[in-house]
Amino acid sequence: MATARKSRGESRILRYLILGTWALVCLLPILWFLSIGFRPRTEVITPEPIYWPTFSLDAWRLLLSDWPIAKYLLNSVLAVGGSVVISLILGIPAAYALSRYEFRWREDIGFYILSTRMMAPAIVAVPIFFLFRSMGLLDTIWALMLIYAAVNLSLVIWIIRSYMLDIPKELEDAARTDGASDLRILWEIIIPACLPGIITAAVIAAIFAINEFLFTLLIASTANAYTMSVALANFTGGSDGIIYNAIALVSFIAFVPILILVILIQKHLSRGLTMGAVKG
Amino acid sequence: MASIHLQNIVKRYGGFVGVQNMSLDIADEEFLVLLGPSGCGKTTTMRMIAGLEEPTEGQIVIGGEVVNDIDARDRDVAMVFQGYALYPNMSIYENIRFPLRMRGIPASEHDARIRKAAEMVELGSFLDRKPGALSGGQRQRAALARAVVRQPQVFLMDEPLSNLDAKLRQSMRVQIKHMQRQLKVTTVYVTHDQIEAMTLADRIVIMNKGAIQQVGTPDEIYSDPANTFVAGFIGSPPMNLIQGTARDGRFTAPGISVPCPRFVHGQVTLGVRPEDCHVGGDNLQGQVYGVEPTGDVTYLTVLGGTNKIEVKAARDYRSDIDVAIGIAFDPAHLYFFDESGQRIRGAA
Ligand SMILES: Nc1ncnc2c1ncn2[C@@H]1O[C@H](COP(=O)(O)OP(=O)(O)OP(=O)(O)O)[C@@H](O)[C@H]1O
Ligand SMILES: [Mg+2]
Repeated sequence: MATARKSRGESRILRYLILGTWALVCLLPILWFLSIGFRPRTEVITPEPIYWPTFSLDAWRLLLSDWPIAKYLLNSVLAVGGSVVISLILGIPAAYALSRYEFRWREDIGFYILSTRMMAPAIVAVPIFFLFRSMGLLDTIWALMLIYAAVNLSLVIWIIRSYMLDIPKELEDAARTDGASDLRILWEIIIPACLPGIITAAVIAAIFAINEFLFTLLIASTANAYTMSVALANFTGGSDGIIYNAIALVSFIAFVPILILVILIQKHLSRGLTMGAVKG
Repeated sequence: MASIHLQNIVKRYGGFVGVQNMSLDIADEEFLVLLGPSGCGKTTTMRMIAGLEEPTEGQIVIGGEVVNDIDARDRDVAMVFQGYALYPNMSIYENIRFPLRMRGIPASEHDARIRKAAEMVELGSFLDRKPGALSGGQRQRAALARAVVRQPQVFLMDEPLSNLDAKLRQSMRVQIKHMQRQLKVTTVYVTHDQIEAMTLADRIVIMNKGAIQQVGTPDEIYSDPANTFVAGFIGSPPMNLIQGTARDGRFTAPGISVPCPRFVHGQVTLGVRPEDCHVGGDNLQGQVYGVEPTGDVTYLTVLGGTNKIEVKAARDYRSDIDVAIGIAFDPAHLYFFDESGQRIRGAA
């Protein structure tokens, strides 16, 4: 008994040791660029090790004075938020139809939707550029909303569909005999019952959208539509050379919202990412 | 408020026949019980009446109107589902209220009706809870309340009491019957419990493998079974079925010899209920196999040849096993079935 408890205690210490080490490995880069962001530019690129770094807000000043970071952030938020709303509005009814109605080619349509995710974005980059140009939407947030929604739609549909498949059919049958229309059933029974799935899908879509780079680069050409991810990349190529401390700071600012999102939905996220693997 | 007619209903799932050629007339205000083993098509039949499943062939008529093409929501049928099907995101109160809202019943009436329904199933103090916070039996009662909160044309109840303890089941049973008589709503009720079937039903339908075996009042089903399936299904313990030979007005099987009508001959099956067997006599000569006192009656199993015969003996009957014993069969209550299991009736 005593030895069993002891060895269990030891294995616990070992476990925490391993997990702690791994957490440190993961967190170190973040702490590192955070520390870079609060040091003067010259100190960042010196080859000698520095044990007592100087604290400096140079990078902050540079950011806030020369760089429309607020605008970029706003663009990101609008484009991402809008795209999530669009993909939910389109995705929820689609997921419902794919999970409930029996019709020809149902599985094929489901697979086709998923397959849009399988090709490299670069393949469609050129046609999409011309498409948006002819619509006159180049360099607008509207274009970004649409393209993010398009990219994420398949994922959103599949995540929500997997949750809807878990809802017993009897529930809808009951609602139907109680006198509810299809739309009411969707709104009052199905959506509340798979709300965790919808939240998961929304957050995953938001994270993908925040990180989207290729299409944003293609569509955005000025601060009109630059989002954080593209602005960040442009930041490196200024005439002043590479401003490491400011880049670190911007990266950190871009990273924080995602971190918060992930922490908020951690519980649902693991379920969403393993969907289909285990039912229930 | 509505009669129901099923006309040659067939339900096929691919090649599998769930319900075969079912014809049934359910009278207005009737309480009809469907009884049969698991998988015999009871739920399927209910779902077709409710409009949740389309019959492959045949017509369904409710209240004089062919409803095959009428959607479930327009059929005005209330159903208690076998799996309860409570809306998980709504409180019990909202669950019971849902059909009232959907059917456009004036909001001013809701509260009183909901409380009355909840009172009936003894759930008055659980109205604020979500279904997830109720026990299985409480959920089942909530499902029942949701069905009876409005007055539909037809009640469909799929094993609505299966998860309750004996006492609650008894009281619910009486309440359901009372309510059905009061509201005069045509009711189709599925159960595995014979007592429930016997006590509730105006008529009972016995089903097996998707086909109706017999339709009749509880008395008819019990005392006049149409075939060996019905005979062996009804009664507890069920009727003894003994295979043997009939010749010249006498039925014989290992250890058994009873007189039988002259029109019974050849390979036949004798049916005799445990309550029609009496200790002392010579129709069955065998050994005591087991004695099971239950309090109000003692079940005695007698081994005659290879047959095990159940006998309902007096409450205080006791015996050691392997003791030789003679049993008399009540000659007025013997049933004979032919090789295909059909009842052999007189005047043949
Ligand atoms: N959607 C379906 N697809 C294929 N077969 C089905 C389907 N629904 C039911 N069945 C089959 O039809 C038969 C009748 O099913 P049903 O649910 O009506 O049985 P039941 O009499 O209600 O049984 P229980 O007493 O166990 O509830 C079963 O053999 C079942 O497997
Ligand atoms: Mg069933």
